[in-house]
Amino acid sequence: MVEFDRSAFIAKFQEEATDLLQRLNEGIITLEAEPGNRPLIDQWLRDAHTLKGSSRMVGLIEISDIAHRMEDIMVKVRDGEMPYTPDMTDSFFEALDAVVFLAENAGKPAASEFDIDDLTSRLAGLAATGVPQAASVAEPPQEASASASEASAPSAAEPATPAAAPQTSASSEAVQHDEATDEDDIHSDDDDAASVGESSSSAEAQPARQGEKSQMKTQATVRIKTSQVDRLLNLVSEVVISQIKDEQRVRDLRMAAGLSVEMQQLWSRIRSTMSMLPIDEQNMLDADMRIFDDLLGSQRRSLVSIAKAYADDTSRTSAVVGDLQEQAMELRMLPVSTVFNSFPRAMRDLARQYKKDVELIIEGGDTELDKKVLEEINDPLVHIMRNAVDHGIEPAAERVAAGKPAAGTIKLSARQEGDHIVIEVSDDGAGIDPARVKAAAVRKGYLTESEAKSMSDREARYLIFEKGFSTAAIITEISGRGVGMDVVREFVVERLKGSLDVDSELGQGTRFRLTIPLTLAIIRALLLRVSGQTFALPTSSVEETARVEPSEIIKVEGHEVIRRQRRTIPLVPLRDILGLDAIEQDSEGGKIPVATLAFSGHRLGLIVDAFVGEQQIVIKTLGTHLKRVDNVAGVTILGAGEVVPILSVPDLMANGRQLTGARMRRTGQVKEKQAGPRKILICEDSFTTRELERSIFEAAGYDVETATDGAMGLARLREGLNPDAVVTDVQMPNMTGFELTKAIKSDETLAHIPVIIVTSLERDEEKAEGINAGADAYITKSVFNQDTLLETVERLIR
Amino acid sequence: MSMHDLTAANALMTSRANEILRQRAASLAQAPVDEDSGESTGLLKFRLGLEWYAVPISGVREIHNEYVVTRIPRVPDSVLGVINVRGEIVSVTDLATLIRVPSRSELDIDGQLPSAIIVANDECVSALVVDEIGDIIEVAHGAIEPPLSTLDKAQAEYMAGSVYIDGLLIGVVNIDKILEPIGESRDGRAS
Repeated sequence: MVEFDRSAFIAKFQEEATDLLQRLNEGIITLEAEPGNRPLIDQWLRDAHTLKGSSRMVGLIEISDIAHRMEDIMVKVRDGEMPYTPDMTDSFFEALDAVVFLAENAGKPAASEFDIDDLTSRLAGLAATGVPQAASVAEPPQEASASASEASAPSAAEPATPAAAPQTSASSEAVQHDEATDEDDIHSDDDDAASVGESSSSAEAQPARQGEKSQMKTQATVRIKTSQVDRLLNLVSEVVISQIKDEQRVRDLRMAAGLSVEMQQLWSRIRSTMSMLPIDEQNMLDADMRIFDDLLGSQRRSLVSIAKAYADDTSRTSAVVGDLQEQAMELRMLPVSTVFNSFPRAMRDLARQYKKDVELIIEGGDTELDKKVLEEINDPLVHIMRNAVDHGIEPAAERVAAGKPAAGTIKLSARQEGDHIVIEVSDDGAGIDPARVKAAAVRKGYLTESEAKSMSDREARYLIFEKGFSTAAIITEISGRGVGMDVVREFVVERLKGSLDVDSELGQGTRFRLTIPLTLAIIRALLLRVSGQTFALPTSSVEETARVEPSEIIKVEGHEVIRRQRRTIPLVPLRDILGLDAIEQDSEGGKIPVATLAFSGHRLGLIVDAFVGEQQIVIKTLGTHLKRVDNVAGVTILGAGEVVPILSVPDLMANGRQLTGARMRRTGQVKEKQAGPRKILICEDSFTTRELERSIFEAAGYDVETATDGAMGLARLREGLNPDAVVTDVQMPNMTGFELTKAIKSDETLAHIPVIIVTSLERDEEKAEGINAGADAYITKSVFNQDTLLETVERLIR
Repeated sequence: MSMHDLTAANALMTSRANEILRQRAASLAQAPVDEDSGESTGLLKFRLGLEWYAVPISGVREIHNEYVVTRIPRVPDSVLGVINVRGEIVSVTDLATLIRVPSRSELDIDGQLPSAIIVANDECVSALVVDEIGDIIEVAHGAIEPPLSTLDKAQAEYMAGSVYIDGLLIGVVNIDKILEPIGESRDGRAS
């Protein structure tokens, strides 16, 4: 577990280090101008210390060493043991650059291209002497001469370029022990510069070029806080919304202009009719009519010209606003390689952990994704890959026997499809066996035998997304605990507003497919009305919208269902899930609008009052005060400025299923068992272990029965003890734990009792023997603790 | 004629811009008050039902009028919903419900509500619905007494203190307590 998680921590470290390094760099620049700035030095030291600690935590010892050396120097400066000299600036910059390089390449072999030892020893030298040992060749001479370590000035004052190099003589090792001769120090620095440069043959060219490059870099990019980008995006989406309103107003104005034209036309008709009237009356009106004529004409002209000018302006602004929005969104786009790059290392660790031979192929690393999505996507992907290594890829011998290459292949690919990114994790392993999944589902009480029989293979594969479900035949410390795919799927749907699907062919491999929106900010949503209020439902989880005849609704055991495509779908009024009041409304010809959700292989029909339509919406959070609200994932602002809640599909699914009673069966079972204290039989020959286990279970409220060996345990079971679970050791006199397990599992009256093997036998073959015997869980004593034991037992007792 | 219309449109835009600038100026103008509060504290008075309360000016971001509240299902009674403040979503807190004070205003949800004081601390922002907004008063630090001991516990939690001014006892609300995030811990995983 610890090994596996490291990649995730390294990413976090990198994030933290970026900020620390920026502050450290800025600190050095400021210190150069104000060497006596004590608060700054203190802050700097704290940052360096944090860097040291964090890098050590994630195993990046080199960074930790460098940070340590820098600290040593700065502590002396702080304590007045030596003055801060501008020369130090270069040493610090070199060290910080090295840290940046190491942090960026964390966990990759590239780090070895850097001569860390050399750098740290030079820093140590600086700490000891106060004189930079670093590649000060690039240092402008005047700075060196202004420093307190004037002794070094003569050589440092030499031209920063070519001339310095040939003096190279002393090795850095020698320098470190050389306390006094500053000249030597400087000379050796040139040598060091050469060794730092990767492949350059000329030491002098390297620093110069590096300097140039970093300067270019600072000009080309600006570091901006993500919160600033987010605020900008917020404002942009406001502009977009008012632009939409403007466009509506253009249409209104055009209509007004059209009315004015019609009015004038009507007026001219009236006038010509009036001219037929007797002359007296005409005269009386003539003057007024002419004025009215003019007024109407100028009103029409004015309205038409305003409408036209406004329309032109608006369409121009629309184009600009469109670009603005696109560009603003782009600010947050990063290539997926920023996440993928840590995977080869993670995969190597995983492969080693599971003792598999696996090759990872990555494709489409340059596909761009919203930074927010990227931040969230690492963990689900690692989880899926872990699953692939653990359950997908077979042991080498098995693969060769099946005619496959001994090493398994896991392919990770990303590509853009329309406004979505598709990420696939595919393996060429054993595939998901629907029969095995069904069997496990039946054993664990998710399905009845008959439900399993009528279930298609495709549906069966989706069972792996069930809460607490595990495809593993047995629970071990590292897998099969059923914490996995359900969480991944929920995460993908809830946080990333995407979907996760699985496709598998037995013997050929498995493919997980994540479809996620390009940006978290915009999704397609179905707008619907319930109790007079509008809600948005992410379209990605809506399988179907339909208006069903009341006669199509079937009542089963007090619950309403409909049949769609040979499936029975439970129905629940969305109003009930949301706890809203019913309101009077006209039904559309008696038909009932139903939106069918599909999530985690389950379907749920939501009865709503009306469908409003489907459109792109901008997702916003509920604000800082409402951290989490059941059933609501966020809000959006519609064109008219109306705020509309976005519903959370996983929440609706969980709460809706509770209302429909889809979970009744399982919760009912649990209640039945919980009616009395649960009973555990412990078979263990060691007195200490037996009493330890007894105390654990008793503390958790179990009734505990014990047996000192397998034979005694079996006898007690056959006497009708009927415990909720059996916890057994393996090596026992008379009858081993494996034999006991086999006996229990082959006895029809006892086979339903979960068996948990707790043993010091840790070899894979022994685990395999446990699996073959039919044990439900296998816990090795080396990782034994009371939480794992209790958790495992509770998981199995359903 | 058309010139006239354009001028009117211009004037409209200018007045909108002025309004925005005015609001901004108002929010900026609070900083100095905050700064020289070494001795005294600025309090913004407001009325709930028949009683007057106050909120420290340092926690007030702006006054918001004319807004439409969107109800959010299954939130505590004290949260009326959310509003859109220039693109930012802000929760609407019914302070009267929270501190159990009878409020006389007819709260017309989905319609117009009385004025709201948008309060913020480092983490959270919320709009407090009040019946009437009063003046800003300056009180010396020492003048703020602990909350009345006669308050029941639920109410006392939301009060930072009380201050006696012009014959009125004014409760000073505790912004940090009011702004405690809602629904922070999630147990959605439990089946």
